[in-house]
Amino acid sequence: MSKKAPAAGLSPRGRALRKIEPYIWIAPSVILMAVFILVPIISVFQMSMSDVSKAGKIKGFNGIANFTKVINGSAFGLVLKNTIVWTVAVVVLSTILGFVLALILNNQFRGRKAARAIVVFPWATTLVVQASAWNFIINKDYGTLNTLLLKLGIIKEAVNWTPTPEAYFAWEIACGIFVTIPFVCFCVLSGLQSIDTTYYEAATVDGANYWQKLFKITLPLVKSSLTVSTVLNIIYVFNSFPIIWTMTKGDPANHTDTLVTYLYKLAFYNGRQGEAAAVSVIGFIILLVCASVYMVYTLRKGDDE
Amino acid sequence: MKKSLALLLALVMTLALVACGGGNNKAPANNAPANNAPADNAPADPAPAEPSGDKIDISVIAAQYGQNTAKWWADFQDEFNKTYENINLNVEVVSWNDIYTVVNTRISGDAAPDILNIDVFADYQADDLLLPAKDYVSEETYAKFYDAFLEQSNIDGTIWAVPDLASARALYYNADILEAAGVEVPTTWDELTAACEKLKAYDSNIYPWGIDMTTDEGQAAFAYYIWNNGGDFTDADGNWTLNSPENVEAVEYAVGLVNAGLTNSDPANETRYTLQDLFGAGQLAMMIGPNSIPTYIAVDKEPDEVINYGTAPIPTNEGKPSVSAGVMDRFMCFDNGHSDEKLEAIKTFFDFFYEDERYSDWVLMEDFLPATKTGGEIAAAADERMASWVEIVGSCKFYPTAQAKWADVKQGVIDVQQQALLGGNVQELLDNLQADIVAG
Repeated sequence: MSKKAPAAGLSPRGRALRKIEPYIWIAPSVILMAVFILVPIISVFQMSMSDVSKAGKIKGFNGIANFTKVINGSAFGLVLKNTIVWTVAVVVLSTILGFVLALILNNQFRGRKAARAIVVFPWATTLVVQASAWNFIINKDYGTLNTLLLKLGIIKEAVNWTPTPEAYFAWEIACGIFVTIPFVCFCVLSGLQSIDTTYYEAATVDGANYWQKLFKITLPLVKSSLTVSTVLNIIYVFNSFPIIWTMTKGDPANHTDTLVTYLYKLAFYNGRQGEAAAVSVIGFIILLVCASVYMVYTLRKGDDE
Repeated sequence: MKKSLALLLALVMTLALVACGGGNNKAPANNAPANNAPADNAPADPAPAEPSGDKIDISVIAAQYGQNTAKWWADFQDEFNKTYENINLNVEVVSWNDIYTVVNTRISGDAAPDILNIDVFADYQADDLLLPAKDYVSEETYAKFYDAFLEQSNIDGTIWAVPDLASARALYYNADILEAAGVEVPTTWDELTAACEKLKAYDSNIYPWGIDMTTDEGQAAFAYYIWNNGGDFTDADGNWTLNSPENVEAVEYAVGLVNAGLTNSDPANETRYTLQDLFGAGQLAMMIGPNSIPTYIAVDKEPDEVINYGTAPIPTNEGKPSVSAGVMDRFMCFDNGHSDEKLEAIKTFFDFFYEDERYSDWVLMEDFLPATKTGGEIAAAADERMASWVEIVGSCKFYPTAQAKWADVKQGVIDVQQQALLGGNVQELLDNLQADIVAG
């Protein structure tokens, strides 16, 4: 074989190999993705348009019957509303709080490393454990929050922190925010660290105040990090199952259900796998639209500037 | 160009992530067989894993009732395979959380187990997947079961499954609290309300009465109250009677107790286990629960730390007979095109399992009640406490699990109770449920 081997000097066979070589290298990941991502998606779509028996046997094609049944179901409107409230509240609030936290952690102070490590904890813990811990904190009868407040003398008798379904849902959202903040924080932090300090020096020389620097320098420069974290969060939070399942299972009467817990119950408690697949497809489409709109919008704006 | 690139990127990302998200949620379901099999079989396979050769393979999926289930089945498998050298029995113990998805996944992959131990059977029967019980249980073993239990698996005159064990429910009360408050054990609903009010006045930090209307087991609460008000899920011909006046009155009574502040604070979210914890800790005076409560509340406690409790029949609406709620699980055999030889082997399995001593050992180990007459006699003789339960279980009512719509009814009555807790009109809710169920 020629030792110099410039591309032009290759035999026709060698050139052909060069051409297909990249495809060989990416083949394993393409196959993996096809098997583990595409096939399940296709089978969910297929199931959503099939008549599926309770024992899981597909009995035949039934068009959009599953979809109409699900959408006309009495709980669907409520569940959809809950899903939107849950996703928007968790994503927006955790993005704001995570951003603020990142700004704080980006300052020089003693123990910064330790503080950053601590911020990871909620993220590194399993969601089921997190949710159980929150349940344990807010429980009326043995909860630590009541115990603490009683010991401090702030309250006289145990308070029921979850008197209504809405209150329970609010606690779940709080838990969701708590576990999502670290992710946003680290995304933003990585963006912040890549900003050249000379920008700030120049701005200071020009007499810019803190807020001007924040909105004119920091925000535009971490926007791509924020975009990534927001899109990922919309998808993660929308599909999040463990927190709600561990804390309320969607009870009472679907008042704390989101699409994901609802479809789980449909599939595994009611044995209606076809309808569950339909809910899954609806969620998929909603997410696809939201994420596409958001990404196209932010990326286009980035291009214009 | 960039715009379309961005769109493409967004599409791919969402696709990938949604798939991941979906995959995560379903992971326990789809991976369960793969994950569980090695874990549960690890202790189950101390015998040399020799190739089965001409042996007859029998695969069993069994529900994991408790901590000792997997070990018990492992020993069972070992003993069975040693006794019958021509049979290769393989028992896979699966937790209750996963078992339905494991079984459904197997069925849709045409790999149903030969024998399944689970609670429901009607859905499998509806798909023509099961064999009639008489085909796979020897006459001798078949004769051991309580007739009332076998009847629970009757669809169109054929028995499709055999009972493996049962549990029954009764009223549990904290004797010390009741005595201190000067309250007699209630036998009727009026007495119950009065007792709860008295208990509340005695100590407002103790919940007088426990109710669980959660997704976990809310159908049990529904059954306790309707059955003890002369109501039922169906009439004698098997037609749904969910919105009967007795049922409406029963749910209204139960929800009334909650609204009057006489129960635990959040019946829609507090499961029976929460109630059992509260009861065991002396924070709940009375609740309806299964025969396993004594064991449950004694865990990790010295004998003198355990509360002083008693059991009594479930209170009824004035003049109605007290009905205990029974829960029964089953064995069933999938129609995998078995040869006669294999059916004989399966019969051998059941004969071996229901052999009186082995069977009562299994039932006592799981802290349940026996489903065979002979097992009942042994259990009653072995344990005095058991004797009264064996008597109760012989006369209790069961959920209509042979009905194909039971899963929907079960979720439906839970939903009705939770809606009622939120202020819904019970009559309207049950009317709607009845209409939904009848319409299919």
